[in-house]
Amino acid sequence: MMAWLEGTGLATWVRESPSLWAYPTILTLHTVGLGIVVGASAVVDFRLLGFARRVRLIDLSPLFGMMAWAFLLNATTGILLFIADATTKSRQPVFYVKLSLIFVALWCTFATRRIIREGNPAPGAESAPSKGGRLAVLSLLLWAGAITAGRLMAYL
Amino acid sequence: MNLRRWIVVGSVAVIGLVALAGVPAIAHHSAAPFYDATKRVAAQGTVTRFLFKNPHSFLYFDATDDKGQKAEWQIELGPAASLTRTGWTPETLKPGTAIKAEGQPSRAEGSHGMCCAKITRPDGTPIVAGGRVTEEQQPPR
Repeated sequence: MMAWLEGTGLATWVRESPSLWAYPTILTLHTVGLGIVVGASAVVDFRLLGFARRVRLIDLSPLFGMMAWAFLLNATTGILLFIADATTKSRQPVFYVKLSLIFVALWCTFATRRIIREGNPAPGAESAPSKGGRLAVLSLLLWAGAITAGRLMAYL
Repeated sequence: MNLRRWIVVGSVAVIGLVALAGVPAIAHHSAAPFYDATKRVAAQGTVTRFLFKNPHSFLYFDATDDKGQKAEWQIELGPAASLTRTGWTPETLKPGTAIKAEGQPSRAEGSHGMCCAKITRPDGTPIVAGGRVTEEQQPPR
């Protein structure tokens, strides 16, 4: 299965093309998408932890749409990078650690979005919902862990 | 400092520590975790395979050492996308081509691997003439 994936024309193109538009561009887009997903998520998380309290939480909700598009970009580029080297990557424990961290982080993101859409605290409200605060810390840690696991795939 | 401030400072510190744990590896994608830059190793033989690919290319060649021991060596090279820009192609090193290589040895015990190698013909002449890099190939990055 993995060997078949790796042998497809698309996987071979990603792996063997000498063009800067192949592997280097895909990897670059994967990094840009990561910056947007985790960056936007961090903005919401820090707001929940008490930063920039004058910004209403509900005003941040369009960021979730941005996260969704960037996540789509990263799922796509991630699949391309995976199939190019499927036999090796499918045997790397740290790859499954990365995927698990991303899934739990995504769950956090959905839970945070629910809190923000339902909660809608007034501007300047003294405290963020405490459940939101815990989710925010968890989200920051999970994304940092996912990035670390992803980077370690090149070494472990 | 109020409680919320502590939570923020604490979580930033933990993230920092998690990130720091990865720093030696992340810093510049150095070859140091895998190859020993303080040592040199050299071998001469004939090419068996040239995997011209991203994110790293690999060159394999059969060599016989001073004691008559045969071994297959593996040289880790830069990505296909970079090698191309220095004038190399998948056809540059066909199986059977005689080469001489000198580089940093792999840290793996008992292995025959090197990186950051200078690869030439056995007489020391460059393999690709006129490229931006004629014989000294980039380290993995």
